[in-house]
Amino acid sequence: MPWIFAAVVVLLIAGHFVLTPLLAFPSLQTWATIFVAISVQALPFLVFGVLLSAAITAFVPASFWTRALPRHPYAAVPVAGAAGAVLPGCECASVPVASGLMARGVTPAAALAFLLASPAINPVVVVATAVAFPGQPMMAVARFVASLVVAVLVGWLWLRFGRSDWLRVPARTAPAGSRWQAFREAAQHDLLHAGGFLVVGALTAATLNVVVPRSLLTTVADVPVLSVVVLALLAVLLSICSEADAFVAASLTAFSPTARLAFLVVGPMVDLKLIALQMGTFGRAFAARFVPVTFVLAVLVSVAVGGLLL
Amino acid sequence: MNRMSQSLVMVFLGGAVLRITLLSTTYLNYVKPGFHPFLVAAGAVVLALGVAGLIQEWRKPYLTEQEYAHRSHAGRGSHDDRHDARYDEHGEAVRHDAHENAHHDGHDHSRGPRVAWLLCLPVFAIFLIAPPALGAFAARSEEPPPRPPVTSDTYAPLADETVTAMPIGEFIGRAWADSTYSLTGKRVRLTGFVVPSKKKDRWYVTRIQLNCCAADGIPLKVAVLKAAQPPVDTWVEVTGTWVRPKSDKIPNGTVAPELVATDVTAIPRPVEPYE
Repeated sequence: MPWIFAAVVVLLIAGHFVLTPLLAFPSLQTWATIFVAISVQALPFLVFGVLLSAAITAFVPASFWTRALPRHPYAAVPVAGAAGAVLPGCECASVPVASGLMARGVTPAAALAFLLASPAINPVVVVATAVAFPGQPMMAVARFVASLVVAVLVGWLWLRFGRSDWLRVPARTAPAGSRWQAFREAAQHDLLHAGGFLVVGALTAATLNVVVPRSLLTTVADVPVLSVVVLALLAVLLSICSEADAFVAASLTAFSPTARLAFLVVGPMVDLKLIALQMGTFGRAFAARFVPVTFVLAVLVSVAVGGLLL
Repeated sequence: MNRMSQSLVMVFLGGAVLRITLLSTTYLNYVKPGFHPFLVAAGAVVLALGVAGLIQEWRKPYLTEQEYAHRSHAGRGSHDDRHDARYDEHGEAVRHDAHENAHHDGHDHSRGPRVAWLLCLPVFAIFLIAPPALGAFAARSEEPPPRPPVTSDTYAPLADETVTAMPIGEFIGRAWADSTYSLTGKRVRLTGFVVPSKKKDRWYVTRIQLNCCAADGIPLKVAVLKAAQPPVDTWVEVTGTWVRPKSDKIPNGTVAPELVATDVTAIPRPVEPYE
């Protein structure tokens, strides 16, 4: 095996000097820059989320969660959603953490509310939103309210209509071997798995980013309902980290505040890299139902909250 | 994907991240400078996990893969079952009941998810394509730059005699949002790369503004008048004076601000390519 390692290193270094000058097309380079940027930028958050999730699985006893959350599932959903406010991170971190919570016996609906809420309502994102919209403090407030409402609604919907065989709930056995061994193996497996799907999302997002010109979108900025849907779809396509999307939303000046709110609410809940991550973590049957429901609810709630607050 | 490949992929990924953060400033092509400590930490964690996995493999050379899998399963049965119940090697949902598990002992538990091979792609991209900072291709469209996200209404007055160097974002902010028109008649110096325009009499000095990573980059453009256009993507310092629009009625963000250049100097690419 060591010689394979050495061979790959030699290939990469030789390739760097031989191939790089041959691959210098502006379109390919721009695509590769965005692809690498999304991957590299998401990696620290993914690692943080995976380590936290592995720590929850290996070190936090299952009984903690049954004591910390209300026993009644319908009450646990809003509590778990609001608890998302304390995890500073973006959406890449929340998927493995939610999966770790489910593995420790937290009701899936509550873990899902946490999954949706935490990337949008944590302090880092709220501050970033307030900074990106100077003089419009209601934008940060509206984002917080709308995101929490969507997360709780989706959690309750899952509780009422969700079927357990749609969701690949991680099994609930405690690790029997050494805790550190369990921690390392859980972290390695989740990192490889979630990382692979992150790459799928980054590939798609980079391709669309280069192929679809943004000017195409601004032509519909004046149409009331369509503009909301278009910005919501743009949030899905661009897959921007929730800590940065407020700045992009602020730059879309041609659009109404409500449309931009939809961009901010949909982005952390539904985007291409997130869909790939959820599909990989919770299964295709789950993603096929969860993603469209979340998207529709996020758009509807954004319109309602935007109408009330903005 | 066996344990050795899993660990190798992680070593390569962690190594590539450390290569672009610790051994060079390439990471600045992709993310903001403030991201450096997080990237180093993430790269170190991934590398450490990979190396720990490799060491564990090398310590057990006397066991074949199959024996090792079997033994580790026997030793830590319930833990490995947890993994099994979540994924099989195709990343598909697998559901075992106790009965199935009883027949499952021969399965190779050291197999990781196959999708993890994709993690090689960023490594190959970093070493083989060596993606440069976003340039004229990313800023090519003729649409005007959007309003800089943060504009202040109170700008300090500019010096009369000397040339003031300023970021392009500040220039656009002063041109669009400054009620005192502090740019009028003042000589300023802007740094950026050259983007051609469809109009004959101008080209754009451009800098891309990042908020988090290159995927959210916004090109900030200032039209340069009365100067010959250097080759596309050349980094230049442009010295000149703002052209105040004839009418105040053009809404901000529809037309790029203009600058009459007195001097255009080619410079090497700055270490921090973005604003």
